[in-house]
Amino acid sequence: MRDDPSVIALVMRVCDGDQEAWDEIVERYSPLVWSICARYQLSRPDTDDVGQGVWLMLVENIRNLRQPAALPGWLATTTRNECLRILRTARRYDPDGLPADDLMPPDLDERAIEEDLLEAELNVALRAAFADLGGACHRLLSLLIQDPPPSYADVSVALDMPVGSIGPTRARCLAQLRRSPHMVAFLPERAGAIEVKETGR
Amino acid sequence: MSTVGASLTDDELLEALRRAVGAREAVPPDFVAAARDAFAWHNIDAELARLTYDSRDAEEALATRTEAASIRALTFTSGQLTIELEVAQDSLVGQIVPAQPAEICVLPRTGSEIVVTADEIGCFLVEPIPSGQFRLRCRTSAGVETMTGWITL
Repeated sequence: MRDDPSVIALVMRVCDGDQEAWDEIVERYSPLVWSICARYQLSRPDTDDVGQGVWLMLVENIRNLRQPAALPGWLATTTRNECLRILRTARRYDPDGLPADDLMPPDLDERAIEEDLLEAELNVALRAAFADLGGACHRLLSLLIQDPPPSYADVSVALDMPVGSIGPTRARCLAQLRRSPHMVAFLPERAGAIEVKETGR
Repeated sequence: MSTVGASLTDDELLEALRRAVGAREAVPPDFVAAARDAFAWHNIDAELARLTYDSRDAEEALATRTEAASIRALTFTSGQLTIELEVAQDSLVGQIVPAQPAEICVLPRTGSEIVVTADEIGCFLVEPIPSGQFRLRCRTSAGVETMTGWITL
C-alpha cells in the first residue's frame, strides 16, 4: 500500500490548500492515530494532546514529506513518538526517577506499530470498498457486520428477502468487495488464474 | 505488499470488514473534528513549540497534596525557543528563553486575538487569562516564529 496513488493525490491537494483533501486524510487515518494511543493506554486528555500534536505537525510538515505515499507510516511513527513523549513528560518528575507502575508504557516494539499500520491500511481499503458497494450489498453487509450478528431470519425480515437467498447474496457481495479497486493492493497478482487452475483439477 | 485480502475466507473477510468499520466508529467525533480543525494552521509559517513541562502533571507524579494551590507552570519548547508560562491569579506571566524582545499573539479558538510585547529580557504579561483554549504565537525581533499547541488552563 506504500505506493497508493490516492494518498499521493490527497497529499498534493493538501499542499495546494484543499481542506476537503485534508478532511479525507483525517477520515482515513484518525482511526490509526486513535488505535496507537489506545495501545499505549493513554487517557482521553492525553490522547487528545497526541492527536493535536500529530495533526499540527502534519500540517506543518506535509510539504516536506519526502515520499507522500509514505504518509500512513509517517503518521504511525509520529503518533508513537508523541505517545512516548507524553509518557516521558509524566514520568520525568517522579521522585525516584522511576516510573510509577501505572505510567509505564506497555512494551511496544516497532513491530506492533507496523502491525497497526498494516491493519489500518487494510481497514482504509475495506471501508472505501464497502462505501462503493451498491445499495443492496451495502445494506446486507451492514446488517451482517453488526455485533452480535443478526440471525438470517432477522435479516430476511429487515431486508424483505427470502432466507434462502441470503447466503448466495452474501457470497456475491463479498466477491464484489474483493474485486474493488481499493482492494487491489491486498490481492496477489493473478489470483484469478490460480483459482481457475485449482478448480479445474 | 500484503496479500491478506485474497487469502481470507468469506467469513474472515466479513470479520475484517466488521473490524474496519468498528475501528472508524470507535473514534469519537470530537477527536476527528479537532483533527480537521488543525488544517486552519496550514498557511502559518511558525515552528511548533511543544509542551515539555506542566506543573500539574509533575504534582500528580509526585502525589503531593499542598494546602494552598501552587502556581501552575507550563513550558513549551521548539528548536529555537522556550516559552515559559506561569498562571497568576488573574494574569498569565511569561518569559521567552533565550531572553529577547518579541511580539506575543494570543490566538483563542473563538474570539479575537490579543497582541502583547515581550520586553528586553523576554518577559510578557497576558491579562486577563484567556477563558477558553488558546495558542501563543511568538515572533522575535530576529524574525523567529514559534507557535505553541492548544493550551487549556
